[in-house]
Amino acid sequence: MSWWARLFRRRQLDRQLDAELRDHIERQVADYRASGMSEGEARRRAAAAFGGLDQAREYCRDVRGTRWMEDAAQDVRYGVRMLARTPGFTAIAVLSLALGIGANTAIFSLVNSLLLRSLPVRDAEQLVLLDGGSWTNPIWEQIRDRRTELFAGAAAYGQDEYDLSRGGQTDRVEGLWASGEFFDLLGVPAVLGRTFDRRDDRRGSAQAQVAVLSFDFWQRRYGGAGDVIGRTITIQQIPFTIVGVTPPGFFGPQVGRSVDVFAPLAAAELASGPDRLDSRSMWWLEVVARLRPGQSADAATQALRAVQAQLRDATLPTGWPPAQLEQYLRTPLTVAPAARGPSHLREYYQQPLVAVMVVVSLVLLIACANIANLLLARANIRRHELTMRLALGASAARLGRQLVTESLLLSALGAALGILFASWASGLLAQQLDVELDLSLDRRVLAFTIGVAVLTALLFGLAPALRAGRLEPTDALKEHGRGLAGIGRRWLGEPLVVAQIALSLVLLVGAGLFVRTFARMATMDLGFDRDPVLLVSLDVSRAAPEPEARAALLGRIGQAIEGLPGVASHGISVVTPVSGRGWNAPFRVAGLPELAGRERMAFINAVTPGWFATYGTRIVAGRDFEPRDRPGTTPVAIVNEAFARKFLNGENPIGRFVTRGEPGGEEISTEIVGVVETSAYRSVRDPITPTVFLPFEQVKDGPPAASLSVRAATGSPAALVPSVNAALTPLHPALSLSFQPLADVVSTSLRRERVLAILSAFFGGLAMLLAGIGLYVVTSYAVSMRRTEIGVRMALGADAGRVVRLVVARVSWLLLAGVAVGTGLSLWASRYVQSLLFDLGPRDPVTLAGATAALIAIGVAAALLPAWRATRIDPVDVLRES
Amino acid sequence: MASDKPDLPQGTLDLLVLKTVAAGPLHGYAIAQRLLQTSRDVVQVQQGTLYPALHRLEKRGLLTAEWKLSDTGREAKFYRLTRKGRSELDAETANWRRLTAAIGLILQAEGDAS
Repeated sequence: MSWWARLFRRRQLDRQLDAELRDHIERQVADYRASGMSEGEARRRAAAAFGGLDQAREYCRDVRGTRWMEDAAQDVRYGVRMLARTPGFTAIAVLSLALGIGANTAIFSLVNSLLLRSLPVRDAEQLVLLDGGSWTNPIWEQIRDRRTELFAGAAAYGQDEYDLSRGGQTDRVEGLWASGEFFDLLGVPAVLGRTFDRRDDRRGSAQAQVAVLSFDFWQRRYGGAGDVIGRTITIQQIPFTIVGVTPPGFFGPQVGRSVDVFAPLAAAELASGPDRLDSRSMWWLEVVARLRPGQSADAATQALRAVQAQLRDATLPTGWPPAQLEQYLRTPLTVAPAARGPSHLREYYQQPLVAVMVVVSLVLLIACANIANLLLARANIRRHELTMRLALGASAARLGRQLVTESLLLSALGAALGILFASWASGLLAQQLDVELDLSLDRRVLAFTIGVAVLTALLFGLAPALRAGRLEPTDALKEHGRGLAGIGRRWLGEPLVVAQIALSLVLLVGAGLFVRTFARMATMDLGFDRDPVLLVSLDVSRAAPEPEARAALLGRIGQAIEGLPGVASHGISVVTPVSGRGWNAPFRVAGLPELAGRERMAFINAVTPGWFATYGTRIVAGRDFEPRDRPGTTPVAIVNEAFARKFLNGENPIGRFVTRGEPGGEEISTEIVGVVETSAYRSVRDPITPTVFLPFEQVKDGPPAASLSVRAATGSPAALVPSVNAALTPLHPALSLSFQPLADVVSTSLRRERVLAILSAFFGGLAMLLAGIGLYVVTSYAVSMRRTEIGVRMALGADAGRVVRLVVARVSWLLLAGVAVGTGLSLWASRYVQSLLFDLGPRDPVTLAGATAALIAIGVAAALLPAWRATRIDPVDVLRES
Repeated sequence: MASDKPDLPQGTLDLLVLKTVAAGPLHGYAIAQRLLQTSRDVVQVQQGTLYPALHRLEKRGLLTAEWKLSDTGREAKFYRLTRKGRSELDAETANWRRLTAAIGLILQAEGDAS
């Protein structure tokens, strides 16, 4: 019988035990009777012979080994009664624990799924990734041909946005071009239909036009329809046949991004041109391999390096300068373990997540200190009850266990509520961060929460339990809680409050730094107006594959927009500002020494006349581009002030010639005709970036995508979407459009900073509130303990002001001590967040002063109420009590 | 306890109980009686010790118990040796023999010296 069965069948076991012992006595009685005794005599002798019946019963019960459980059950029942008797205390304790544990669980479940969990594929720990960024398709083909001699297998994939529309406004979903080995290598089966394999992944074969849907996408778009197999889906306007659906929980190879549609790598050339697969300098594929059983990552790297020379030689990029080719040949190939899958999101969010994890654990620590404080105050009130129990024979250990049980009860209640809170908060957070994660509670998260709950219970329950161990039974008989007992007695509450204040200050400083970073980034002068501009992304690659046709189509687009009501101006550019994308090249200015190495690089954008006006970027010298800047006329350029400063040492750029080097070795010389103010290029975070603008029509080698920017004359640019859509859609049936206000693009690029600011502000505020409550509890308790002293002082003529000063003086010392420690801690800790800050020193004095002021204000407010209450003490009452 | 009924050495009660039950299923009273008879009234076990010992052996799986109708017309709890109990009994008996023989040797040697 297991111990829990013995526990739950206690009643039955007790009955059987009684029957057994009674049977023994009856038999003894019968034997005595048989030897001639009277009934009464026999019973008396039998009872005497047996000895202590109750004792025997207790010994037998001890044998069951469930005594501790029975005691624990008693402790729990008693604890519940005690907690129910002080509902206010219980509610505050449970709620602050729920917030603390919940916040920790929420952040940890993000940490878990983004940073810790393995990909949901077969034997993820055998997977390795070809290290060092992305690879070209020719390189993949080399590895593919050797995949079974190097590893157990290998596959390649490249992320892409699939436009599922058949023209007009785009319908973008997350796509993945995957080699035929992909599903097989990862061990991902199809839940419906089939996945594709090597036979499908063949260039030029009609069979390559197949697609596999993710489970989520199948549910979302097709409502989980069983007859989806065989239907057609268009990717970049090429028809693909749906052949299968992947299992739920498989989100693709990248943590944080859910793939919607998978298509064979070979079909990438149908959707975006043969260059995608043939080019030796298009770096867009990830290569993943599975190790053979017993093969280490190092062994795989060695195997790869053995064929590196052939592999590199066969894939030499065309038209590169010799120095670069030399470097290409020499860079060693390496594989790295990839059980968790590659993820740039992981790199992007790792540091902020760890920062927030530290923040929430500090908040929990502060909450613990608060509860410890409340428990200590309560333990002093419960002294009488506890010493009485000691006097009645309970052991000190038993009392300590009782108090620990109460703490565990509190933290268990807090953890249960906290898990509810966490499941809501982590979803919200993932949504705010725009990551798609499987946030279901797994074993690791549950273990974490339980561990945290037990740890917190020990943290806040230990001090009161230890204190109970020092009680003396005789204390119960003494006068309790009155008289001068409180004076001069140092209790643990005060150091706890100092610690709370110090930690809250650290959190407030952190919050201040992150909020100010976000505020600076959100309000900084980007060098353009974000509010009135509507971005229209144009994919003209299918509508007009040839450069000449493309130019003509873009010209027609410009004409169609011209004069639309509500449109103030418009312009087309190759690169959209702050979109994270960039285009750069080395430059030198004629007549000036060339800059060294990477210093020569400057960003490029190609724009149409009117683009600067649309963005509100001022032209500080020279002229804007004009329609006469066409192919065949003098090549011209406009540079920004940052470029002029860096490349021309501040000399007047107008009329100077700037030369752009290209990978092919060809050099293009252009005349600078204007200078514009410096504006943000790739991201708000980038420092001032030297940029060269070229006339859109004079650039032949730019990327095929372009974005049209439309400036609204008044009001929200989003209001222009219908009219712009109506004007452009008729121009070409295969023209894809997508709309987004520029302000949205800017705010999306600040997502990480925004979430960090919101979270740190929320938890900083919470920490401050908790510290305030802690201070209030300590002060109230001190006032109640010093009641007699205060009463006597008032009887001797102290006025209200003196009494308030008496109380506030103590609080001020606590506050000062806390602020001093907290300042030291903040100064030490702030260097760890430096890289998350923008345009702000980690020891920013304004932030530190502001945080200190806020904390002192809260502290004084927390002290004033008990101080005021102290002034209401009636000396007559106090004197009468004693 | 009278001086002619010495205390049992630690742990021997379990061995005696196992040995007694080895003959066949017995209830607690019969075990106590049997111990008394076999030891010619030397081993008188307190019931406050016997029943916890029975329950402990049952919990360790050396005995199993069954409620059966007995001669009195009431149900009584009969203890029976399990296979595990049997091998424990054999091992402990051998142990006991070795131990008593050794103790006997030592006591003899001491007697010679004095």
